[in-house]
Amino acid sequence: MVTALEQAVALVLSGDGLLLNIISVTLRMSIPSSVISLLLGVPLGTLLAFCAFRGRGALVVVNRTLMGLPPVVCGLLCYMLFSGVGPFRHFRLMYTIPLMIIAQVILITPIVIGSMESFAQRIAPAVRETARGLGLSRRRAFLLLVNESRYQIFSAYLLAFSRAIAEVGAVSMVGGAIAYKTNVMTTAIMNYTNMGNFTLGVALGLILLAMSLVLNLAVSLLQGRLSR
Amino acid sequence: MNLPPFRKSYGGRVVLDFPGGELPGDGVCAVIGTNGSGKSTLARLAAGVLEPDRGCPGWPGRPRVGYLPQHSYPFQMSVRANVLLNAAGRGRKEARERADALLDRLGILALADKPAHHLSGGETARMALARLLMRDYGLLVLDEPTAAMDIRSTALAEELVGGYQARTGCAVLWITHSLKQARRTARAVFFLQEGQLAEQGPAETLLTAPRTEALRRFLDFYAL
Repeated sequence: MVTALEQAVALVLSGDGLLLNIISVTLRMSIPSSVISLLLGVPLGTLLAFCAFRGRGALVVVNRTLMGLPPVVCGLLCYMLFSGVGPFRHFRLMYTIPLMIIAQVILITPIVIGSMESFAQRIAPAVRETARGLGLSRRRAFLLLVNESRYQIFSAYLLAFSRAIAEVGAVSMVGGAIAYKTNVMTTAIMNYTNMGNFTLGVALGLILLAMSLVLNLAVSLLQGRLSR
Repeated sequence: MNLPPFRKSYGGRVVLDFPGGELPGDGVCAVIGTNGSGKSTLARLAAGVLEPDRGCPGWPGRPRVGYLPQHSYPFQMSVRANVLLNAAGRGRKEARERADALLDRLGILALADKPAHHLSGGETARMALARLLMRDYGLLVLDEPTAAMDIRSTALAEELVGGYQARTGCAVLWITHSLKQARRTARAVFFLQEGQLAEQGPAETLLTAPRTEALRRFLDFYAL
């Protein structure tokens, strides 16, 4: 264990080509998927909290169900849609990063929606009533609610990115974990551990943890500075 | 101005059955009553933030209403920015001058650049009142606007609303738990009890010579 850890640290410091490629693929997948999920989830989640309409409760339940969507089920769905027999086969996205991004957006967006909705619905009645009392338009009131939720947006992004870099089921099904093409850190850890190559697995695990730590620290600092 | 009849119930329980009433055009109408008598429901219905029961005619010709809820929300921006949120139709310079003048009248101009969510309860209430009075309304509905304020701030707020009413000629519906405040500010009074308008009339007669036993008991209790 100690030897594997020492070798892993040495591998990280050496700037190994395979390792760098895996990190690069991971980031090229995780950053777009988490950003797209955020762009979709923030307005949808806030809107769900802001608007009072028949069926809102049912939509919240549906979203909460989707928050627990098993990644392999999402992977299977994307596989059936985009593989050689699926309706979207002409896009030729199987085993590519764009399809891995699509799968992750399907998985992560409900989580962002849920996170924003549960936060915004606590303050939405007061914001709505205050804005309406002033005679502000509904659009203005909605934008004020989004503005009030801005610190929650950071938390939602953290959640989205953490889920994106840690996800393995869906991306391995639609990406195929092809070396130098679609192999990301989680699928690589799984593959190299299965092959008995613990050094690379541990190195990737360390990097994954470090990335999560750096991102959390950065967001905490930013939140602290903005909330002063 | 006449307030139309309003009826509101939750789960079959009627919380307000208001038959309508006249608001004085030259002063404040205070709404008094115990907790749960329907005062805030009346305020919210009059302001249009709450829908009356189905079948209730509502208020088709509702004037432009400015409504200050019991807990007005301090948006996470500076006090001045909060007040300027309600500066529609004014130029930037004029709006800022008016915002600062209102904050000054309420004694919180020194806090203008502070984050609004860091204010105390009384300061937040003053900021919320300044924010509301940035615009001219046909009807002002104030739900316990001074409940969190000290005596001095309350006096400033009452003076400011009185001046606003005199300048704009708007009607004012002022929910209060303070009989002293009702005596100081109101020309007319609505007394609500268990969701019903138990008594209404000019402040000087209603608060000194109540017609109903319910209001007499209410006044006696507050005199203790």
